[in-house]
Amino acid sequence: MSATYRPVSWNHNKIVYDAILLIAVAVYLWIFIQVSPALHPTAAQIDGDILRMRAYGSCAFLMLSFILCIGPLARLDPRWLPVLYNRRHFGVLTCAVALMHAWYVLGWYFAFSPVDPFVALLSSNTSFARIAGFPFELFGILALAILLVLAATSHDFWLSFLTPPVWKAMHMSLYAGYTAIVLHLALGPLMAQANAALAIVVAFSVVSVAGLHLAAAVQGAAQDRDVAQAAASSPWISAGLISDLTEGRGRVVRVKGGESIAVFRHGGRISALANACAHQNGPLGEGRIVEGCVTCPWHGFQYRPEDGCAPPPFTEKLATYRVRLEDGHVLVDPRANPPGTYVEPVVIAGDAR
Amino acid sequence: MMPEAKDQSFFVGFDNNVPRPLAGFALRIAALLIGGFAMLALVLGGGGEDTGPGIYGDEIIMQGELHAKPYPFLRVAADRDHPAGRAILLAGDGKVGAEGDAKPFDGQQVVARGAALKRGTLDMMVVGSGGFSMPAKLPGAAVPAQAPVSRGTWRLSGEICDGKCLGGAMRPGSGLAHKACANLCISGGQPPVFASTGTVDGTSFFLLADKNGGPVPDAVYDLVALPVDLEGDVERVDNMLILKVDWAKLARR
Repeated sequence: MSATYRPVSWNHNKIVYDAILLIAVAVYLWIFIQVSPALHPTAAQIDGDILRMRAYGSCAFLMLSFILCIGPLARLDPRWLPVLYNRRHFGVLTCAVALMHAWYVLGWYFAFSPVDPFVALLSSNTSFARIAGFPFELFGILALAILLVLAATSHDFWLSFLTPPVWKAMHMSLYAGYTAIVLHLALGPLMAQANAALAIVVAFSVVSVAGLHLAAAVQGAAQDRDVAQAAASSPWISAGLISDLTEGRGRVVRVKGGESIAVFRHGGRISALANACAHQNGPLGEGRIVEGCVTCPWHGFQYRPEDGCAPPPFTEKLATYRVRLEDGHVLVDPRANPPGTYVEPVVIAGDAR
Repeated sequence: MMPEAKDQSFFVGFDNNVPRPLAGFALRIAALLIGGFAMLALVLGGGGEDTGPGIYGDEIIMQGELHAKPYPFLRVAADRDHPAGRAILLAGDGKVGAEGDAKPFDGQQVVARGAALKRGTLDMMVVGSGGFSMPAKLPGAAVPAQAPVSRGTWRLSGEICDGKCLGGAMRPGSGLAHKACANLCISGGQPPVFASTGTVDGTSFFLLADKNGGPVPDAVYDLVALPVDLEGDVERVDNMLILKVDWAKLARR
């Protein structure tokens, strides 16, 4: 959370995260480029530039596959949330690695010619009507363009400037980028049948990404079906038993029509606010009360439970909801108050702290 | 208000004191990531294709009769290793063929200076700008020109490559991933070579030409780097085979 825009708001966790990433990438490249040729005679025959383009290209693919697995893994098992926290840096590093791949391709396959390398890249293979021999480089260019746009806008300034829904929709194009990379591989090195191990790794990666997303979607669909029941008095809806609400924690209440409300028990009182975090739509109801504030499980954005406002100097505001207690049940009025509206928390009898 | 007890299952990004259970789990993920990447690098780095024995060698100087069509080649005197004579296919610097430099010397006895390229029976030389000369006194005797010998009509399976990369300028210098580079080389005038799965007269490499013995047409670019069947007349020039293909007929098939 930051009140001003800085290139990177470093903290200890981000430094550790980035260090681990850099070590993983450095180890991969070192083994691929230096160790493999020493161990495998066939790798030793390959030109250094081609070995490097393969190392950077495959590394970028693996990184992107891992990045795409983090989201569903964090949905299925919240212990993965620390990996989600700094995923942006993972994405930016992936873009840098993919750029290095493109650099070596341009500097080797499309160099040493009077034709400009960029012109040669786009014009030297025009077999568009064929699957075998299709200019697979085009899919690589598309993927790299998407990665560059996403890396350039991977900052809270752009998130705020574009608004979270637009920014989020734009960053969903990462899936189009991943598809383009898979096509780039399928119509290029995989069709050349030069490396069986690559085919297995690509297949495993794609199945993992798709499978985890499917599992998370199934879980999400089951949760979405669990719509809150209407209470006896309209328009109130039931948010469950008070006794089921743990102190310091929240519960996501789904309203007919797709909205979600986060109901929190804090200091012996109950408040309700919009479930979608103003930052990246993170599920606040799965967060915790930290320092008296509702804290998003994704990136730690905080809001006061009683008025949905981020504590000063932050300015984010969320809609709040009226709450009442009846026969041991928490009831919520699903009509949202304007963002930042103060609503007196309901005190749980005998639990005021 | 009572102070909040820290939730050991909840991670707050800006809080440097990560709960121990989560820190332990994150460390296991980090180890998995680093270890997994190391293992994959070993598997993928070592799983490449065998690029074969293509060699980009040292500088050599050869005397012979220069021919510019369909692509430049130099006919040099027979020696112990090449009793039937020896034709060396010529490539230019980078991705530009040697035709521009060779044309003024077409049919002449010249001295060529360049780097040797060798892949099996594919005998090549990379001649840079100014690599051909006609000294007043040739270092060796003039090569008596032998007429090309027809070896009949053949149908062969294989891959169309650019001769320079295939010969050893790139490793690997063939295959689909290399297609655009091969097209760029051939369009720049480097000699197209057909690497056949079978052999004729002990060689599986054929310099490609059109049916009249001229350079290949642009239609060839769609077929480069793919498994293809080519049919045409094979002509032997010393130890080099030229496959003359009716490309228009091939495109209609």
